[in-house]
Amino acid sequence: MNKLIQIFQKMQSVDRRYIFIVVALSIIIPLLIPFNSKTYVTEPTESIYRKIDSFANDKSKAVLLSFTHNASTMPELFPMEVAVLRHCFERNIKVFTICWLPDAAPLVDYAINTAKEDYNVQSGIDYCNFGYRPYSLRIPIMLGMGENIAESVETDSQGRKLDNLPIMDNIKNYDDMNLVIDFAGSSSAIQWVMYARAKFGANVAAGITAVMVADNYPYLQTGQLIGMFRGLKGAAEYEKLVDVFASYESPDYPNGRPFSKEIIKETWVPITDDKIPYKYKKARIGMNAQSVAHIMIIVFILLGNIGYFLTRQKKKKIV
Amino acid sequence: MYETISNFVAAFLTLSIFSFLYKDNPFYKFAEHLLVGVSMGYAIPVLYENVFIPYVYIPIFLNHDFIIIIPSLLGVLYILRFSKNLSWLARYPITFTMGIVGMGVPLSLHTSVLVQMRSAMLPLDNINTILIFIGTVTILLYFYFSKAHRGIYGKVTNMGIWFMMIGFGASFGYTVMARISLLIGRIQFLLGDWLGLIK
Repeated sequence: MNKLIQIFQKMQSVDRRYIFIVVALSIIIPLLIPFNSKTYVTEPTESIYRKIDSFANDKSKAVLLSFTHNASTMPELFPMEVAVLRHCFERNIKVFTICWLPDAAPLVDYAINTAKEDYNVQSGIDYCNFGYRPYSLRIPIMLGMGENIAESVETDSQGRKLDNLPIMDNIKNYDDMNLVIDFAGSSSAIQWVMYARAKFGANVAAGITAVMVADNYPYLQTGQLIGMFRGLKGAAEYEKLVDVFASYESPDYPNGRPFSKEIIKETWVPITDDKIPYKYKKARIGMNAQSVAHIMIIVFILLGNIGYFLTRQKKKKIV
Repeated sequence: MYETISNFVAAFLTLSIFSFLYKDNPFYKFAEHLLVGVSMGYAIPVLYENVFIPYVYIPIFLNHDFIIIIPSLLGVLYILRFSKNLSWLARYPITFTMGIVGMGVPLSLHTSVLVQMRSAMLPLDNINTILIFIGTVTILLYFYFSKAHRGIYGKVTNMGIWFMMIGFGASFGYTVMARISLLIGRIQFLLGDWLGLIK
């Protein structure tokens, strides 16, 4: 027993840099040697998928992706954005993008370019980037889009008049652009809930970093957010949904198959084969590393607590 | 070629920041200061191009929409905060900003209070709604400080503490997940984009 206590005492005084090394290795090894693990799809992610999928091939409906983040939150948010854009391109859904921070503008282009490489889509016809709009104009633009998008935003990122773009046919306000997904490392989706949902009845969803999940849950629970991507896990779930349904190809379903709860429960998408490009499984590979790192952290917490209680017991005995 | 160089620069700066985990050093300080400088240097011309030109210069000087001069001057008053004698003038644009905040109050009340209250008043027919009900009531009682938290009342408010602790725990768990995700993103960049070890 004394030896065990001594070991734990030594462990408690170990240089924290050794712990950093262990955590780093627990991430590096699963990334270098990916393994297949199951990704369970949860209700908040599934709701967003089903809503977007209901717009498939409908030229009178569109999705707006609002980028309210910069590069610092890219590891969590970028895979979500690529997965949603891929879904829209797969299912022939009109998609608009807008960003509110100066350094988000290149991220929007990067996300669109990453997703469109594999699809025959054109700017102004299949998708449209409104570009950067100052954050101070966010509320007027949000409210303005409820009346008329073309009058509120006026031009796209290339300076073209929105009225002249084919993508704007049948798209006037939130009745048509009926889903807004806000990607952010903050609670900025709540602004969409306040101004676009409460006032105009737009459907709002949030793609947020894991830190912000607890803050946004009340709005999900009350149904004011129709769905929520919760950090890297949410991105991994959506990647799987797109693989299993939207990009599924067979003689029966040449353009993807419809969503089914039974299929998603039973289907297991292996990420170690080369059929799926790396960019479309980045979040799932990341989640493997995430799982290993979490196990390591749990082990450290347990060891730390055992050591603490053992040494406390010993101190009590001495006293 | 351009991508290779940019990847090398990004990898060098990433490793410089990570070097702080060993101990503070000049590489870390260099990368930290560069980040602040580049962020500001990048934002100023972007804001000039995307805000000043389309919302101030073009309307006033090209479209002769002179009414824009009034909000522009109000905006300029913000700069007077740096003047000892005229800093009081900066309160006027702040007043307008507060007006915009006020505009959001009714909608904010609707989304953050009324709808939340409605969803807390559901029939207690399943375990989730029962937990939400107990949690809401006990936490609200905990924050009622006009009565001493003793006896049965103290036990009820103690339950509120437990609910809050579970909430903080969930929040902290998500925070750990987010921080690990950021590390994963950087390691994916170093191993994949830079070293080409992940295909």
